[in-house]
Amino acid sequence: MPSQPPLPPLLAPYVSTLPDSSLTLISSILGATSNWLVLRFLYAALSSASPNAAFGLDELQNGAKKKVVLVSFMRSYDFWKTEAKRLGLDLTRLADKKQFAFVDGLSELFYAPAATATPASVSPAGMGSSPRTTLPMRSPPGAVPGRSPQPVRPTATAVRGNLAKPAESGIAKKLHFTGRGLASLDALEADISSVIEQQKSSMEDGDELLLIIDQPDLLLAATSPSMGIGATEMAEWITGLQQRAHATVLTLATDAPLIHNASTMSGQLATPIETEHAALAIGLAHRARSVMQLRTLDTGAAKDVSGVLRISRGGGMITEEDNLEEREALYFIQRDGGVKVFGRGES
Amino acid sequence: MAPVNLSHRRTHNLLLISKLLSLRDTASPLTLVLDSLEQPATPLLKEYIRRAKLSKVHVTLIAFETLKQPEGVDAFISTRRKSTADIAKEVNAAYQPAAASNPSRRRLILIDSINPLLNSKRVEPGFHLPSFLGSFIAPTSASAKVDASLVVTYHQDVPEAPQPNPYTPSPISVLTYLATSIMTLHSFSHVLAQKAARDRSLAPPVFGLEEEQEGILLSRLDRLAGTGTAEGIVIELEHRRKSGRGVLEWYLLPPASRYSPQHLKEVVTLLDDNVLYNPPMEQDTAAGDEEPTSTFELGLTDRQRREREGVVLPYFDAQHGDGPGEGGRILYDMGEEDDFDEEEDEI
Repeated sequence: MPSQPPLPPLLAPYVSTLPDSSLTLISSILGATSNWLVLRFLYAALSSASPNAAFGLDELQNGAKKKVVLVSFMRSYDFWKTEAKRLGLDLTRLADKKQFAFVDGLSELFYAPAATATPASVSPAGMGSSPRTTLPMRSPPGAVPGRSPQPVRPTATAVRGNLAKPAESGIAKKLHFTGRGLASLDALEADISSVIEQQKSSMEDGDELLLIIDQPDLLLAATSPSMGIGATEMAEWITGLQQRAHATVLTLATDAPLIHNASTMSGQLATPIETEHAALAIGLAHRARSVMQLRTLDTGAAKDVSGVLRISRGGGMITEEDNLEEREALYFIQRDGGVKVFGRGES
Repeated sequence: MAPVNLSHRRTHNLLLISKLLSLRDTASPLTLVLDSLEQPATPLLKEYIRRAKLSKVHVTLIAFETLKQPEGVDAFISTRRKSTADIAKEVNAAYQPAAASNPSRRRLILIDSINPLLNSKRVEPGFHLPSFLGSFIAPTSASAKVDASLVVTYHQDVPEAPQPNPYTPSPISVLTYLATSIMTLHSFSHVLAQKAARDRSLAPPVFGLEEEQEGILLSRLDRLAGTGTAEGIVIELEHRRKSGRGVLEWYLLPPASRYSPQHLKEVVTLLDDNVLYNPPMEQDTAAGDEEPTSTFELGLTDRQRREREGVVLPYFDAQHGDGPGEGGRILYDMGEEDDFDEEEDEI
């Protein structure tokens, strides 16, 4: 099979031109993950050469240089680095050139590194009586992120103190979840904004900053409404970040239990996470400019089709001249990481 | 629908929607717009703003999900991290009517989505939705009379957080109870597809989230099979008059690209007047169902009908009770065209 262009021509207009203060929502399910699409957004913004000159997109890419801040809650930096390399993007080099910044929301989000003063002391089984928040602990990256039964004492000052620690090369900042409720979200927002501002400081006029937030729904799932974080708070948090960036790309899980259990039609009592997640995902789709929905093939697995990509207009206020063409296409991820996007019946 | 009825609806109900959308005579102080991902309310809100601009109405947008101030909005109030009391205060401060020169100016207050407020974890315990909404329509300072109309958008597909108290009504029940008009929005192409199915006695198709297919949030594709170029939004209006009488009507609002922003005449039409929704009956079928065609003249002329009605049938005569054997004779008045036959006729 011939190797595919890094940016499939069918996809190029959707990932390259993002209007100002627009929100693009990528929805994925377990069988159809969104990593490849996020990588295409990265590639469209970061690749220096303009591979799409033939498609009339070069004039948009020549003038303004784009910068990207990627906040990832579900994947480690190593993953993105390796995958981007397969597309010909060297993220470490781009980070040195201040074109790219990675914010790690995975490895130490709920984990206080051993270097800090307070160890994760195991409190006696007094969880019910203790007013303290008990935060789930994350296992180190690589393993399945699971929760440990041991409650970790959140220590705001000590944990935040390690930000000065020289980070792994390429990682601009590691996020730490501290405190509870809105204050913890504010702290995360401040951390991410500081990276964005850092990137902006080296920006010239006309440069655009693209913010990609990968699976922020983890925050919603890992906390709970009783901690004061619900769909509204998450959406406000995203709004705050959106205000600082030129365009925002967001990935969210839309697996059936997370969306449909909470609907009034199902008639059963939904759990808080089902309600909140559905409210977040649908609420964000209401404000998005475009929603890119990934799903598996309706007719079952196929040898040469990985899934279906449907691009729809969201409910957000769009300007008249911005006409996004809705379409549905199939995609196929090849063994070498190349992706083919094609219409039904084509190949 | 009978044609007389339709023309009556055409005059009265078109006047009503025109009054509602142009905010004339404060026909509806609180309008509730129920939308969904399949048909977002943004085109309708834009139409409200457009008409408000034409008639120089002051427009305030309370933004729960809009990021940037849209065109035509005079006051844009972001609600991020604000208490409801602050929002109310800011909204009332946003508009200072010049009391002397312009005693009763009108203002339009739009809420782009009420759901985040209803689902918020942060909302004060004493929050009372009716008085919050009421504070916009009837400001406490009655120094200058302002005719304010409030348009509240509610996303139907966003699940609601369960009520803390099981006996309090859900916010949507409260809203539908309070609203003076309720507009439910549908996508025109979906309405057509559902009507086409109903006309063939098939189950009407469902779209988007209602499909309950994993990975699908939105179904709105530009070219829905079989509906051609059906654009526009269908408004299902329920208006409660002051007298208590309700008006139910279905309207069609064409897309904004079909008319100029300065267009003054009414653009909304009745859904029943639409050619795609209600195709005109063919003439020959309308005439043909009166009489079967035949080579004989089966009809009666007027004179024949009159004379037939004048005939006294024998059993009426028999009821006089003149004695046995007396009644029941055939009484016949000779017409001028009848010949007297001595053998047959007896007088």
